[in-house]
Amino acid sequence: MTAPAAILYLLILLSVSLIAVVFVRPSVTVTRGGKIMAFLVLFFLPVLCAWMGISSELDRSKSTAFCLSCHTMEPFGKTLHIDDPSYLAAAHFQNHRVPADEACYTCHTNYTMFGTAKDKMRGLRHVYVYYFTTPPPPEKIKLYDPFNNRECLHCHEGARSFEQGAVHNSDPELLPAIRANKKSCVSSGCHDVVHNVGTLANVKFWNGGS
Amino acid sequence: MNLSAHPVERSLQISGVLIILGLLVEALCLAWRGPLAFMVFLCVGGLLLFAGMALYLISLVSVPSPKN
Repeated sequence: MTAPAAILYLLILLSVSLIAVVFVRPSVTVTRGGKIMAFLVLFFLPVLCAWMGISSELDRSKSTAFCLSCHTMEPFGKTLHIDDPSYLAAAHFQNHRVPADEACYTCHTNYTMFGTAKDKMRGLRHVYVYYFTTPPPPEKIKLYDPFNNRECLHCHEGARSFEQGAVHNSDPELLPAIRANKKSCVSSGCHDVVHNVGTLANVKFWNGGS
Repeated sequence: MNLSAHPVERSLQISGVLIILGLLVEALCLAWRGPLAFMVFLCVGGLLLFAGMALYLISLVSVPSPKN
């Protein structure tokens, strides 16, 4: 258990114990000290617990394990272990170019002011689709919008391998086009092998690392 | 355990029960990992906590009738 989770559990325990006192002896709230205690245990502590709980849940929802806990996402999780560096997601995951415990979130959140909030709303829709409708098969799942180069450039822009890469500099107009999102990083002939869940039956897997 | 006859104290007791239930739901959801836990936390736990706190705040501003 992490330290914030332990603190939250302790706060919940403290709140429940103090609320139980108010429940058994509500007359204690008649005095000035009792009124302050009632405010603390019936308003302040629950707000604090709720805020810490939401923060903890939101943090947890960024984890790779959280995303892959839906069966529909399992094949996408398997692609992270494909033993072939041409698979973009696998190469990033296995070489820790993205944090392994937040692999999905790192590439699939929008690096904009409300990107996280927008993705959470989409996540709520995914929960609805998963539990209340028939989710599409994994190979039919598509991104809402074409993958924006901004998500790649968040890390790669300014990196020597990106700026001085031979292919990236083969055409003087290519780098400006990539930066302007006019030429997609995942377009055909470039980094176009990403998850490709349809090929899982024909690939080898790397099970090393943590 | 009986509820108090005094309306303000009874409100505090009901509010306390709602908040305790909300906190217990929150504790369960923290231990239960998965997307549905987040939904239960927000929809059930959040609603119970909100109802409990709202009842407490209403009891603060409500004026008992002269009979009480």
